[in-house]
Amino acid sequence: MSSNSWVKMPAATRALRGKAAIVGVGETDYHADYQAARAKTPAYEGHTSEDLAITAFERALADSGLNRGDIDGLSTSFLYGGPPVNEMAVMLGIEPRHSFAGGGIMAGTIPTAVAAIAEGKCDTIALVYAAATRSIGRKFGGNVDEKAAEMPSSYYYHHPWGWSSQAAHWAFIWQYYQATYGVTEEDMAAVAILMRDNAIRTPHAIMRKPLTVEAYLASRYVVRPLHLFDLCLVNDGGVCLILQRADKAADRPHTPVAVGGWGESYVKQDKMDTLVRKRLRPQFEEAGRQALDMAGLALSDVGHFECYDASTMHLINHVEGHGFAAPGEGIAFCKGGGMAIGGTLPTNTAGGMLSGSYMHGWNHVAEITRQLRHEAGERQVEGVQVSMFSLAQTDQVHPLVFTRGA
Amino acid sequence: MAQTRPDRTLGPQHDDFWGWCDKDELRLQRCDNCGYMPWPVVQACEQCGEARFAWEKLSGRGRILSWCSFEHDYYRGLFAVPHDTILVELDEGPLFVSNPDGFARDDIVPGMAVAVRFIDAKDRAGPFRLPLFANE
Repeated sequence: MSSNSWVKMPAATRALRGKAAIVGVGETDYHADYQAARAKTPAYEGHTSEDLAITAFERALADSGLNRGDIDGLSTSFLYGGPPVNEMAVMLGIEPRHSFAGGGIMAGTIPTAVAAIAEGKCDTIALVYAAATRSIGRKFGGNVDEKAAEMPSSYYYHHPWGWSSQAAHWAFIWQYYQATYGVTEEDMAAVAILMRDNAIRTPHAIMRKPLTVEAYLASRYVVRPLHLFDLCLVNDGGVCLILQRADKAADRPHTPVAVGGWGESYVKQDKMDTLVRKRLRPQFEEAGRQALDMAGLALSDVGHFECYDASTMHLINHVEGHGFAAPGEGIAFCKGGGMAIGGTLPTNTAGGMLSGSYMHGWNHVAEITRQLRHEAGERQVEGVQVSMFSLAQTDQVHPLVFTRGA
Repeated sequence: MAQTRPDRTLGPQHDDFWGWCDKDELRLQRCDNCGYMPWPVVQACEQCGEARFAWEKLSGRGRILSWCSFEHDYYRGLFAVPHDTILVELDEGPLFVSNPDGFARDDIVPGMAVAVRFIDAKDRAGPFRLPLFANE
């Protein structure tokens, strides 16, 4: 994945707090599509970015109760190729007066859209994301055919030593973490199992069969010490979020979900050391503080947490990095029930990317929307008012804070 | 016999690193302006932006900070699996990804002392000397 696969986002400023809210959400059929792809069902042809985006958009539009003509903004986020934004608008049957492409992972797209709304460029913007990750046979290590200049050097530089892939990063961290804090693979199973338990409560989640410690430990190593179940899924899907100017959002059929704040922090130098030994803690602290300051909230106000769980280890990095658990205590926090629905910090309640769907953070924000509407069914976090999303890759952190109501 | 390896990153500055390896010397860039030692190779200093570097000869010694083993065949047969990789904290500071030479993952303990050793390797650009680390 390109490190520049998102638009440059506006700085976190209180003037933009609550200016826009999510009023519509749509997702594709992750579970059914994954089953069909795995089963190689004869009629199943796989997906394209276009058809995934259209499905997600139509569902979000219906969910929002808006008319097609109400949509006056469009943003596209295609991870691995897709049509230009003006062609996408034609396919969706809308005529946006403002549009931007290049959103990518769930980092700068929402802040950029909020700023556009605050500046009067549009009132109601559809944020469309799609990735046909599985259908295109996307590889996550080895020689990937991308311009090296756009990726962190750790994604390609160590090829001569046979070291590459996102998983390799988390593997180095996890090995170091085990030695530093005296935890084991068996302990880490609790994180994978929690994601599975949450997915089982989520009808559209991909992995819905119970996972045991024994099955986790018996699963193959991908990059040892990481097992298969330590790593996120690879699947096709699309997500659409419709964001509307706050004063208009109050009229929608569902409770609006306001964008409260955001932050960003990047690693400039000593990247491997910052990743393996510090586990991005300086960046989590800095970006998290920006987002909460902008939202006018404290960490203790966060009642539900969604984070970019590329691996179980990375999920723990988020939880510890933002200060929800002390360094080295994240796994114990999970084992003790703290991250479960009903715990003090329900985390990745739809199963995240490990058991839910690998939608590059867009799935997490879709789940936040349902949780803050209080429409998450049997996985609902009771009475939740504030949700935090945290995205981190190997050298950057992008949190978002959302609040119930506009 | 030279081991076939996945391709190096070559080009300005990168070629200097591999050129020193071909002389069995582990050298990294040292920024002319602020003294920062980046790794992997950069075109401009990550700390101050300076584009001039000296190639400083290192002791070749370090300690193992972490390690992982590839069981998934990301290189599609080009590099046999499983294979072990180590993250070496060089005495001069940078963290260097490499392979163990003469030992394997079960022999590793955190902080284990290692020293550089060069082996014959080749990739699509031709033969080269590749720095690995042996138990010291």
